Amino acid sequence: MMGDYFRKMTGTTQSPVRVSREEIIWSWLGAFLGILAVAYIDSKFLAGTDLVLIIGSFGASAVLIYGAPRSPLAQPRNLLGGHVISALIGVSACKLLYPYAWLAAALAVATSIAVMHATRTLHPPGGATALIAVIGGPKIHHLGYLYALIPVGAGALIMLIVALLVNNIPSTRRYPEFWL
Amino acid sequence: MSEKPRGKKISPRPRLDLTEEDISEAMRLIPGYLDITLGDFKELYHLAYQKAVERLSRAVTAREIMTREVTWVSTDTPLAEVAEAMGRRGVSGVPVLDQEDRVVGVISEKDFLSRMGVIASQNFMSLLAACLKTKGCVALPIKQKRAEDIMSTPALTVGEEATVKEIAEIFTVKNINRVPVTDPQGRLKGIVSRGDIVKAALQRTTP
Repeated sequence: MMGDYFRKMTGTTQSPVRVSREEIIWSWLGAFLGILAVAYIDSKFLAGTDLVLIIGSFGASAVLIYGAPRSPLAQPRNLLGGHVISALIGVSACKLLYPYAWLAAALAVATSIAVMHATRTLHPPGGATALIAVIGGPKIHHLGYLYALIPVGAGALIMLIVALLVNNIPSTRRYPEFWL
Repeated sequence: MSEKPRGKKISPRPRLDLTEEDISEAMRLIPGYLDITLGDFKELYHLAYQKAVERLSRAVTAREIMTREVTWVSTDTPLAEVAEAMGRRGVSGVPVLDQEDRVVGVISEKDFLSRMGVIASQNFMSLLAACLKTKGCVALPIKQKRAEDIMSTPALTVGEEATVKEIAEIFTVKNINRVPVTDPQGRLKGIVSRGDIVKAALQRTTP
């Protein structure tokens, strides 16, 4: 029994193969343009306002939608659904448990994973989106539920548009695999 | 006729086992990062294969795959004619019918061999060995006999609704190569051989 338990920690298989050089270049280009679009709009139009458009979890989304666009985790349903649902859960956890930020943080991330699973919108960066709602500082807290719309919903939408435009240029790539 | 392992369990795993190298090679043919480990893919492949086998063998019935033009003999057909008919049609077994066209038995090469003094392993080489050691013809003991004298009886038959899976199980468990298909009154409608099952599998898997 115990033997089995520890044997499982040794793994059962090997790492998948490395992608081609073209694939690496297209992943780079997509991520560069996707984050560039969001960061540029944020700095040109929202600097000095109370709003933000870019949050840390978009870096993680870029890995999926430009680096592994075939992944079920990278599809539009997951990208938009996962981010928006997690944002709502993060803001709610923060508001409910405000003095206990440590508890709110754990509850936000765990609950968003559970709800993303239940709604078939699992998107790993959603966990970060929920966490940022709690630990993101006064500027994020001040947004309240608007956080789910801007930056989260709007930013994810811009990244999605870039993914549609860039991922479909090379003949060897396509995006998305499915919408809903 | 070949020797089949008796009572061997039919394995749900595909005979052609994928190696992780095969999967790696295949993954290289698909551009882009595939979000799955080799181990998960292999497990998925095995489970999907099992499902496909279940689905394909559940759906197809004896009626769809049986051979309808069956070479058959009567209970009173002399064995010389039985052997001639089997040789002419290139079959290794024939159903035996009574006067009302009901299947009462089956004669296979094995039934001939075992009546010709070949007891140990019922194949052609054993017969040849017996032939070379004897003066005269080893078929002499059965020369005057008729189909009903050597047929395997009662005949193992299946209905027209029997599934390929059930028939394959009968073949494996009973170690036989063909089974007559009968209507509820026991009258011959067709015959399913191992070859028919192979052909059916081919048609179902080739689009």
